[in-house]
Amino acid sequence: MRNLFMKTLYDKRVFIIGWGLGLAFVGYLMTIFYPAFHQDNGLDQLIKSLPPALQGLVGNLDNLKELSTYLGSQLFNVRIPIFLSVLTILLAVGLTVGEEEKGQIRILAGLPLSRRSIVLSKWLAIVFICVVASLMTIAGILVGLAVIKETLDTMVLVRLGSLMTLLSIALATIIFGVGLATGKKGLTTAVGVLVAVGSFLLTTFASAVSWLVPYEKLSILHYFPAPDIAKGTVDGMNIIVYAAITVIFLALAFILFRRRDLRG
Amino acid sequence: MIRPFSIVSVDKLTKVYGGRAAIDAVSFTITKGEVVGFVGLNGAGKSTTINSLLGFLRPSSGVIELFGKRVLPENAHNSHKKLGFASGDMSLFTNLTGKQYFDFVAHRYHLKNMSKCNDLVTRFEPDLDKKIGTLSRGNKQKIALIAAFMASPELVILDEPSSGLDPLMQQLFIELIRSEREAGTTIFMSSHYLNEVIDVCSRILLIRDGKLIKDIPSAELMNDGGKLVHITTHHEILPPKDAKDIEKNQIEGGFELTFTYKATAAKLQQWLGGVTQLIDLTISDHTIEAAFDDLYELETGEVNHA
Repeated sequence: MRNLFMKTLYDKRVFIIGWGLGLAFVGYLMTIFYPAFHQDNGLDQLIKSLPPALQGLVGNLDNLKELSTYLGSQLFNVRIPIFLSVLTILLAVGLTVGEEEKGQIRILAGLPLSRRSIVLSKWLAIVFICVVASLMTIAGILVGLAVIKETLDTMVLVRLGSLMTLLSIALATIIFGVGLATGKKGLTTAVGVLVAVGSFLLTTFASAVSWLVPYEKLSILHYFPAPDIAKGTVDGMNIIVYAAITVIFLALAFILFRRRDLRG
Repeated sequence: MIRPFSIVSVDKLTKVYGGRAAIDAVSFTITKGEVVGFVGLNGAGKSTTINSLLGFLRPSSGVIELFGKRVLPENAHNSHKKLGFASGDMSLFTNLTGKQYFDFVAHRYHLKNMSKCNDLVTRFEPDLDKKIGTLSRGNKQKIALIAAFMASPELVILDEPSSGLDPLMQQLFIELIRSEREAGTTIFMSSHYLNEVIDVCSRILLIRDGKLIKDIPSAELMNDGGKLVHITTHHEILPPKDAKDIEKNQIEGGFELTFTYKATAAKLQQWLGGVTQLIDLTISDHTIEAAFDDLYELETGEVNHA
């Protein structure tokens, strides 16, 4: 237990293993479902019969024909954001206001450990856990591919995994930044839920609700167009947006956490 | 006034919450090797002062210096290299065992030699192999105390340090403070146990309603107790001129008079010489707690029996 980064990972080991296995299982399940989606033409008819708003939840039917776009549409575009939202809220709230409420941030601040180091160590632990979450999802997909005896261009998984990692880091850093900057659990949780759920609803329903379209860019998921990424289109602007969000909220944490009163 | 060789210098420290001053223009200094007790009732401002010293809180106004350098939340970690801290309600890292916690703390202080830690473990015998979250409050408290002293810091700040300890461990704690005092460690401790503070501290700071109302040598408080006099007579008598806390009762066949007396024993003897028709007389030491209450009364015009 030499440093705070390792201590944080040790504290979160059950969380990491649990979420890692869970996401691997989701990746595996969605992959082995592909033959059923791919071959069942009746499913096309069923989805076409759904109202437009619900079709947004299911994804574009054209994307079901190819394995890469199927994974982009059904796994990374619909399900992964839901899981990532829960993961990042639990993780970032727990490491910031959760620990402060328990008085554990004070113990750290009472040691010869700068507040800057506390921010950096905890944030690096979040980054590590987000990377593990993405890698485990990819690992689940690879196992699923072996089971259904399908192959997939490695770069598809690299692109989807990389953007998934950036999305989760950006989302977690927003909550992390607010948590460390304010120390207020209610506010931090509210911001996390608002950004995650708001983004999901905005992106999902924008295709069916015309007045939502102008606001779609406010959704953090807007910059993770998984089906397009699966097809090979990676917009550099999306990466810049996630990087900017991460830098801004990390800077917020650095600046305000250094100066404010600690609770607990 | 900041003394040049002071380890702790607090000058007009004020912390305001929601328009109310939790501490108001508190000033004191602690020089190297002093063991200073910080006493006050709940909500008096003890923890706010200690949290400000540690850089957990940003002062609304005033200056704190530790080891000659100004302390603010953003730079407090610099002074923590020479400082140990423990509090009675410390929330340690529940997922770690005591061993892992000491290892973590040792790395923060770049501690190579664990002999002091081992000595303290032998002395306090905490359970080091179980997760801290599963330990009793007393065991957690032992671990917090060991962690505060294990790096041999120049200054140790303790907030109600022995509140979770059983009487045997409280005695061990007092012995630890005495040995640290002999080793030249500067200690600033708040406590609910006045006897403990009197026992180990050379000075006592008394805080009430956020204001520091007294800074006295502990010997003065110890001697300040005076005598508690209980006298029963057939006829009603008047107490001596210097008596305080006077209580009179009529009982079957006589009168009871109880008072505290801080003037000289000779004067008390002289007054007793004039008492007639005596039935019973008891003279005992006035308790330190009572002396503390007297002090509160003296400084604030109120009596508080905590």
